[in-house]
Order: sequence, then structure tokens, then C-alpha cells
Amino acid sequence: MEKQIIRNERTGEQYTYVKHPTGLDIFIWKMEDYSTTHALFGTKYGSINTKFKTKTEPDFITVPNGIAHYLEHKLFENEDCDVFSLYAKTGASANAYTSFDKTCYLFSCTDNVYDSLEILLSFVQNPYFTEETVRKEQGIIGQEIRMYDDNAGWRVFFNMLQGMYHNHPVKIDIAGTVESIAQINADLLYKCYYTFYNLNNMVLSIAGNVDEDKVLEMCDKLLKNNDNPELETAFEDEPETVCKPEVTQKLEIAMPMFNIGFKAKPSKGLEAVRAEIETNFVLSLLADESSAFYKRLYDEGLINSSFSSEVFMGDGYFCSIFGGESRNPRLVRDKLIEEIERCKKEGLDEERFNIIKKSYYGALIRDLNDAEAIATTMINAGMEKISAFDVIETVAAVTFEDVTKRLNDQFNTKNVTISIIEPIDSVNNDSGEEEQN
Amino acid sequence: MAIKYSREKLGDGIHYTTIVNSRQKTNTMIIHLITELSAENASVNAIIPYVLSGSSGSFPTLTELNKKLSELYGAVIKGAVSKVGDSQDLALMAGCINNRYTFEGEKITEEMTSMLAGCLTDPHIENDRFFEKDFELKKQELLDDIDAEINEKRSYAFKRANLNIFRDEPAAVSVKGSREQAEKITAASAYEQYKKLLKTAQIEIIFVGAEASESCKTILAEALSKIDRAYSGDNTSKKSPLKSDLCRVTEPHDVAQSKMVMAFKTDYENSVSMKLMNAVFGATPISKLFMNVREKLSLCYYCSSGYNDKKGVLYVDSGVEHTNTGKAEAEIINQLEAVKKGDFSDEEMENARRAMINTLRGIGDGARSIADWYFNQSYSGKSDSPYDQIEKLNAVTRDDIIAAANSLSLDTVYVLTGKESDR
Repeated sequence: MEKQIIRNERTGEQYTYVKHPTGLDIFIWKMEDYSTTHALFGTKYGSINTKFKTKTEPDFITVPNGIAHYLEHKLFENEDCDVFSLYAKTGASANAYTSFDKTCYLFSCTDNVYDSLEILLSFVQNPYFTEETVRKEQGIIGQEIRMYDDNAGWRVFFNMLQGMYHNHPVKIDIAGTVESIAQINADLLYKCYYTFYNLNNMVLSIAGNVDEDKVLEMCDKLLKNNDNPELETAFEDEPETVCKPEVTQKLEIAMPMFNIGFKAKPSKGLEAVRAEIETNFVLSLLADESSAFYKRLYDEGLINSSFSSEVFMGDGYFCSIFGGESRNPRLVRDKLIEEIERCKKEGLDEERFNIIKKSYYGALIRDLNDAEAIATTMINAGMEKISAFDVIETVAAVTFEDVTKRLNDQFNTKNVTISIIEPIDSVNNDSGEEEQN
Repeated sequence: MAIKYSREKLGDGIHYTTIVNSRQKTNTMIIHLITELSAENASVNAIIPYVLSGSSGSFPTLTELNKKLSELYGAVIKGAVSKVGDSQDLALMAGCINNRYTFEGEKITEEMTSMLAGCLTDPHIENDRFFEKDFELKKQELLDDIDAEINEKRSYAFKRANLNIFRDEPAAVSVKGSREQAEKITAASAYEQYKKLLKTAQIEIIFVGAEASESCKTILAEALSKIDRAYSGDNTSKKSPLKSDLCRVTEPHDVAQSKMVMAFKTDYENSVSMKLMNAVFGATPISKLFMNVREKLSLCYYCSSGYNDKKGVLYVDSGVEHTNTGKAEAEIINQLEAVKKGDFSDEEMENARRAMINTLRGIGDGARSIADWYFNQSYSGKSDSPYDQIEKLNAVTRDDIIAAANSLSLDTVYVLTGKESDR
């Protein structure tokens, strides 16, 4: 068993990395004096991984959308009971989530941590579903999809992705569609399970008041040896341009909501971390609450305090998103483009860059308060094969020149798409065709 | 698990709570102004924390304030407004990393506290009113917020349900008030109300950090000593009375999924027993509601219960297919009947107890969670720690749970439903 202490001088913090003989990457961060332990067991398998091959399946196959999320629901059911009833005996609070590129099972507890860990490691490695139990889940997942149909914040985001991406599956709802989940059966679930829930494709991350040796002992006892399937995932080619410059929909809301996305080239590993951080600096400099741009639009009543920006990135996709509410979203987009072009010409504000750097650093220190934040940082880093301290170190090392270069190279204002949710009954039909999802 | 708690009086109706927790890498300071919730003043009160947190005499614009906060390693000052029983809580919250994590040992906690004190007691004013231009923007934002309540259907259904559940009680009032009231606010009227609140409101200040800070306390005590207090007394909430007839309200909206809120009322005094009953019934993924209404019958995507101990109301909140609301309602009542009859196993009871203890033990790990815990204690005139609560919880028996369940009567069923033509 290969074991390494990963230490960070800047914060004085450390954690342990273990490559388990079964292929699993294990991360343990001991937090003295804390009551809570947070554990995550995850696979690098999310909604976007619909096309893959393995050494036994040498041609790429494509499966229906929504399987990763469906599997997450179904794994919560054992042959004889619900996983929640197992955790009930330890008092842990358990959950799971499926994102675009990962599925994670987690618990948080203040007692009986090793019993909870046993439950976590066992049920994720023991799938059980029949045609009947799979069919039953369609009702619940169907309800979940319908719930999000009413959620304007969710719709405005996915409509933007539909506008931005031609082919990349990130544009499809994580849960799939009512139509796509109707195609899911037990065979497909097993196929995807054995492909992606291989310990070589998985990470275990634990932060809290735990004994490292005890955790590893449990792992030795419970982890199953499995053959590395040599999994490869792929995506259809994605053009650099956006698919549609505008997508609109109507829902019962008060004021138009918008997402404005700028599409950029994706990257991987440490380079992706750098791209994400530098782009975040660009976004803050351009339009955070302290920027002149924000103040101007705010004072004009064009945006309100819901205005914010974020970097959205993963395997094969990378974009910057500005979102909020506005009576005139298209004008916000035009002013944003103008501001980006102005900054490219006149340069960014170096004094503010230095202040923002301090502020980012402070936010990262704040995260060290929290077992959940730490465990999540470790699992995300583990899946990208980088260190959990790479973010804090990259923030410390980033220069004004790096950020300027990022703005100049990565912000193509032609690759922009806007998604607008308009209130029902609004008479504001000035442009754009109706797009219903 | 050494959390040190102390609460001391700083003035008439003003208390300062210190929570020292060696784990904390950050310092948090929260100032609560607590006042009675009223239809007349809810909106004008609600705007105050947002106006105050956006500027001060020393930092007259949001840009200047934010710039200084960023220099303090991304310190944060923000306003919030919430409902606590029949009261309205106006809060100013500040947070920053511990001084020991700064690059050059700067005393940022003290600086942040001074800024917060400035926001509270020295706002940006002109001609005896809040600075007009900024105020108008905040007002527009309040109006937008009130309008936007319809965007999130789950919380909107709750808001609408509350109007019916708490008919003629302060708790019926929406925490940000109504659009009509909000439209009437002016920079002058809000400033008048602000001055009045500083004099009369119950003020609870809560500090959470790795070590107590005498200097921060002094900064706030000095700022507050300049106020000429005319304290109106501690705030309380009354248990909501049961209506003589079941109140049933259905409102059609453009939605794909119906939202149903049911309210049961009680005058049961032992809130710990009721909370455990709530956990058995519907507050966890192993509860009767989750296991039966969602999992076994697939009737709802979410269906859970919550207990408001200040008002003596147990809610059941669910998202249901339009055609299934009747079935879901019947099944929810069925499950409550089961608890009333004692139809739950010892295992179900112990599981619920363990889940609650797990949550209680974790409260001390988070700055906000422990601050909110002690705020609620102070509001209720108590000073229990989460561990005191665990002791009480351990003493709750099966009979207590049955008695708690039997004290509940259905008062209101509110359904936000799709229109007939919908899909």
C-alpha cells in the first residue's frame, strides 16, 4: 500500500493519501477536536458520461441520458432494505448526489463513524436491482424532473447550456428526460455500474475526527478486488462556436431571469485549475460587486443584487456565466461585451487584482473550518489527480499578467449565448423565437 | 468539545453573547435587532438591514465598503431579515478569517467589528434621511424580492399557506411585508423607523471565534452607548390557536407539480418530545412520511414535516402530481394516525433519536449553526447548550411521543395546484 503525507506549509495543514491495492484512491484529513466526520465515496461518473468503451467492449457505445443519476437512486436500495434504514442505526445523516462528472455517496456523523463507513463501502459495492424495482423508480425520478421543470433558476441555466453546446452532453439535464429514463432497464444499469463503479475509477475521501489506521483497516476488509476495465470515455466533437445565440422560455416568475455564457476552450488537470482560478479573477475584476461596471449597471437599475458570475467547467466544457434578474437582459449582455472589449484594450485594474487575491485566499481559509468542505475539496482534487492544496497554492502564485492574458486569450465575445426566462403574460416580445423545453 | 458560552448585559435590552470554540478559523459577529412582526412595519423594517449593510458614514458607497472588506481578506458584512415566531429578526452579520491567518498579523477582526458598528450606528445619511439615491435602489430591490417570491414555488406555497394558518396573528405577515407597504417607504420614513428601532428593539449580539475578543466587545459597547434607549421589552411568540373549522385553500398556478402544505396545531408544552415525534413522523429519510408516502407509494418527490415550536405548528410540506393530492393527503393523515396509536417500533424511535443527536452534536462545528442555536435560546429565554438538549432528548419516552402526536389537530390544508388545462 502506497502512503503519502501531503503537507502544506502555508496553512500548516496536512492529509494522507493512500493508493489501495484494489486501485482505490483514499484521502484522509484528520481534524482534531471536531465532532463531525464527513465521508464521501464517489465515482468519476456523471451525467455527461454517456459514451464509453472498455477492454471487453472495444467499440464506443452510447447509452440513454440520466443513467448515472438513476443508478444513484437505485444503489440506495439493498436486496432487503433501504440504505437509509442501515444508517438509521448509526445516526449518520446520509445522502448522495450526481453531478455532470461524478456521483458521490456521503454521510456525516458525530458517532459510530466506522459502522457508518462500513455501510458506505458495502452498499456502493453491492448493486441490487430487478426490472420491477427499476420500473418503480421511474415514478419518483419523473416527479423529480417535473419539480425542476418549475424551477426557473434551473431552467435558465440548462437553456443556456442548450444554446451554448452543439453536441456535448453537458447540455442535457442531469436526471435525463421523462423520455430517456423510460428506456432505462436493469441490464443497462448493471452494464454502467460495472463499467464505472470500478475502484480504479473511484475515490474515498474522509475529513473529521477519525483514526487513519482504523479507516485503512476497514478498507482492507471491505474493498473488493476488481480487474481494471481500462475505461475510456469520449464526447462528440464540439465546435468552438455557440449553437444558438439566444434561448428563451416563459414561466410563472416576476422579473426576467437570464444567464449569459461565454464559451471557452476546456483543459484538464492542473491546467484546468489554473484556467478556473484565473478566469475567476477576470470575472471579479470585470463585474463583481466592487467593480465600476457593476456599480454602473446597478445604479441604472439594469441589474440587482442577484447579479453574479461563475466559471462552469468540466471534462470537455468550459464557460463563464453571468446570471441574474433584469428588465432588459439583452442590454446587460451588450454592456458586458462592451466592457470586456474595453478591458482588453485599456487593461484591467491591478490594484483591485491584489485586493481580490487576498479575498480569495480568505475564502479558502474559511473552507478549512468545515469537514464537508474539506472532504469535498479532496474528492474533487482526487478525481482530477491533483492535490487538495493546488487551489490555494495557485491562488497564491497567480499574477496580474496571467489574468490579463486569460482575458485576452479566452474571452471571445463572439462566442456568447443568452438564455432568458420571461414572465408568462409579459408583452416583451421584441426579438428571439420561443423555445420550449 | 470545549465550547465556552457566556451572555452579558451591555445595556437596556442589549446583550452580548460570546461563544468561544478553539476549532474556528474564522470570527463571526452578528447583531440582531428583534421587533414585533406587523403588517404595517414589516417592509420598512425589512429594508433596514440591507440599507445598513451597504454603506456607512465612513464608507459611504458600496464600492468603498466592499473594497475595504476585500482588503480584510475577503471579510463579509451582510444584512438579513427573518421571521422568528411572531417576531421579525433584522440581522447584520460580519465574518472574517482569524487574525493569525493573515500574512502580516493584521488585526482584521477589530477592523471588521468597527466597520460593522459603523454600519449599525453611523449610516450614510443626508438631510435627516438615508442617502436617497442608494436608498431608492434598495427599495427597488425589496420590491423585486417581494415580486420574486413567486419564482420558487415551494417557498411561495409556504408563504401563502402561512396567511391561512396564522390568520389574524403576527406570524401571518410575510417577512418582507407586502408590495403595497413596500411602495410607501421613503428614505425619510425608513430612517425614522431605524432610529426608533435602535432605541426600542431587543438587541442580541453574538460573537463566535477561536478566542474571546474584549476589544471587539468594547468597540460595540461604545458605539451602542451613544444610543438613548427606550426599550420596549423582550419579544415573545404565542402558540397559534386552532381554528374551529378546517381551513382548506386551493390556488391555481402555472406549475408542472402541485405543492401541498398541511398544518397541524398543538398546545403541547414539551417541545423536545414534539421534536422527536416530528423526527419519527416526517423529518428524516427513515421517517414514516419518507418511507411510505415517497418510497412505498411514490406519491411525492418530497414529503417531510417540520415543527415550529414557537407557534406550536407542525407542517407537512410536499410536492405532488396534481391528480394525487387527495391520495397524498389521506396517506399523510394515515401516517400521523399511526404515530398517535403508538404504531411505531422502538427501533423507529431510537433511529429518530439517534438522527437528532447526530445533528445536535454537529452544531458546535459550524460558526453559523452555533450562533443561531444560542440566538434561539436567548429568544426563548433559555441558555441550553446542544448537549443539554441531548440529555432532555434522551429522557423522552414512547408515551411522550404518543401524547405529543395526540395533541395535534389538522388546521389548514393549502394546495398550490396546476391549472386544469396543464398537460
